[in-house]
Amino acid sequence: MLDVADLVTAYGKIEALKGVSLRVESGRITCLLGPNGAGKTTLMMTIAGILQPRRGTVRLDGQELTGLTPARIVAQGVALVPENRLVFPQMSVHENLLAGAYQRRGRGEIASDVERMYARFPRLQERRAQLAGTLSGGEQQMLAVARALMSRPRVLLMDEPSLGLAPLVVAEIFRIVGELNRDGTTIFLVEQNAHMALQVAHHFYLMEQGRVTFSGTPGELAEDEVVQRAYLGARRAAG
Amino acid sequence: MIHATRELAVVAAVAALLASGEAVAQQIRAKAEVTCRPAPDVLEYDCTVTLTNARTRAPLPGVELTIGADMPSMPGAHSVAPVKTAPGAAPGTYQGRLALEMHGDWALSLNLAGPLRDRVVKVLRFEPDSVGEPAARTAPGRRPRH
Amino acid sequence: MDDYLVGVLSNIGVVSFVALSAYLLLLTGAISFGQQAFFAIGAYAAGVATALWGWPLAAALALGAAVSAAAAAAVGLPTLRLHGLYFAVATLAFAEMVRLLFELARYQVEIDGELVGPNGADGFRGIRYIFEHDLGPLQFLALIYGLLAAVLIGFMLMERSRLGVALRMVGEDEVLASLNGIAVARLKILAAGLAGALAGLGGGLYAHLTTYVEPRMFDVMLGVHSLAYGLIGGLGTAFGPLVGVLIDIGLLESIRPLAGYRMIVFGGLVALLLIARPRGLLDEAAVHWLQRAWRPRRRP
Repeated sequence: MLDVADLVTAYGKIEALKGVSLRVESGRITCLLGPNGAGKTTLMMTIAGILQPRRGTVRLDGQELTGLTPARIVAQGVALVPENRLVFPQMSVHENLLAGAYQRRGRGEIASDVERMYARFPRLQERRAQLAGTLSGGEQQMLAVARALMSRPRVLLMDEPSLGLAPLVVAEIFRIVGELNRDGTTIFLVEQNAHMALQVAHHFYLMEQGRVTFSGTPGELAEDEVVQRAYLGARRAAG
Repeated sequence: MIHATRELAVVAAVAALLASGEAVAQQIRAKAEVTCRPAPDVLEYDCTVTLTNARTRAPLPGVELTIGADMPSMPGAHSVAPVKTAPGAAPGTYQGRLALEMHGDWALSLNLAGPLRDRVVKVLRFEPDSVGEPAARTAPGRRPRH
Repeated sequence: MDDYLVGVLSNIGVVSFVALSAYLLLLTGAISFGQQAFFAIGAYAAGVATALWGWPLAAALALGAAVSAAAAAAVGLPTLRLHGLYFAVATLAFAEMVRLLFELARYQVEIDGELVGPNGADGFRGIRYIFEHDLGPLQFLALIYGLLAAVLIGFMLMERSRLGVALRMVGEDEVLASLNGIAVARLKILAAGLAGALAGLGGGLYAHLTTYVEPRMFDVMLGVHSLAYGLIGGLGTAFGPLVGVLIDIGLLESIRPLAGYRMIVFGGLVALLLIARPRGLLDEAAVHWLQRAWRPRRRP
């Protein structure tokens, strides 16, 4: 469904992505694991159009996304829940949800989607009038996911959804990820928490120093090794 | 640009409304000369204004003249309440005492009311012991600090 | 009404336009120290149109707003990728450049034996439209506040519209806004143009109110103040900057002994408020609270 081929993205002279190729299958959860600085966030930002690649292509169902503006890429059906910048803090929960549907027309449908989000995330309904900046970290993450879903994406990209959250909240987030997928959402997830990611992933990639170094299903590689490489990178793990 | 056009439309509508009540354009344009000198109290100045018809140079007596003052460096703020003037000895001359907030350049606005409505603006530099040309004219590019 | 009061109210109304102009940009997260340039361009353009070309006031004000909008959009394009301090410095540099150009610009025509028109640093006097057409101070005051009310209604409609939501989204987080499908670049140029038009409209009114403008009026002082009005009054609603103007000109004007020290008092007030309430008196939280208190609550 989402095809990334030979993607190179650089900050000045430093190449953060050194020719990344991977594939996200429709209807599945694909995870990308790797240590800090491997280029995972750079890859997500490049797919979403915030960063421009120096080389390579991103395609969604064969349609070229490379070179499009972020707004056009959202219109094509790719929604990213970015790392760290989750919500519009000075806007209410309700307004944040509507923001996610910015490109859509049809008030009735949008309103019923908002109600669906409230049904799935009851905590958000309780806090619908509250400013998003006053939510807890876990609630903000849920709001960010709900907001991304409001654009009715064909594929949902999530960048480190477990970052900075308490273990119970992380488990809740991953439960939601699994649930969304069962309802038919294609998910591409970047994680450092290899243990949780491997529990939900159908397929996963390991990324180290700007390159994909492993591709397979969760059973194919011992979890210990995945965890080591995801946190530390192969070189240091081996040495 | 939907909102810009809406604003412009409102501009046009309000202005047209007011313009419809306009009188015939006035013919007389006033010309003014102002001289000021420090009064005994600090920051007070005695000013003499001579009003003439700009075209005929004839003096303009019988005008209700008030003098207001603004600091050009801060439009809308630092303005002094207009003071009334009294007719002077010669026809077309008026005298008033200004109390300013600080020394420096002030734009005096001479407001003419009564038979002739007009406004003439003169910029003068008010120093503790003298009144002269504003800094902008004597030294282009240099401005006084406020 | 007493003439002086009318004068002060007129000033408050006119300065509100440039405060709203800075506020509109603040909504998008852009801190401009250069809105005084568009105020100046509007003042000169509208003044030339009535005093030298004999245009009617409405057309002259529209011209001032249009020229300022075009100039602002033109400045918005190259500064699109600048943020924070860099954007502030770029806009300030542009505004100072405009002011210096007006110090050099001469365009005068002889009317009744007097030279009328922009005359460099000596200023542009004789913008006598309100006298030539017998518009009284009260009528002009009504014009100012009529336009201001129209602009405020525009703001209120906008804040509820998609455009308003999009502006706030861009202001809070440009990257996140673009990830929600907002064409950020286009929106920022549009905001810059609208803000330029507002400042230009205020400038046109100001020129006709005072009948006299000079380049010194449009130095950075005015820019700093118009920015400060939004910051102290609040960024939650368009009434915020108006509260800021009222505090500065209205309050300080009515406490005469303070008037000479206005800059010190105002500066101190800004500093205190920015520590206590970084987004002003009427910030988003306050507006949000007011809206909830106002409307009957939906209880399950």
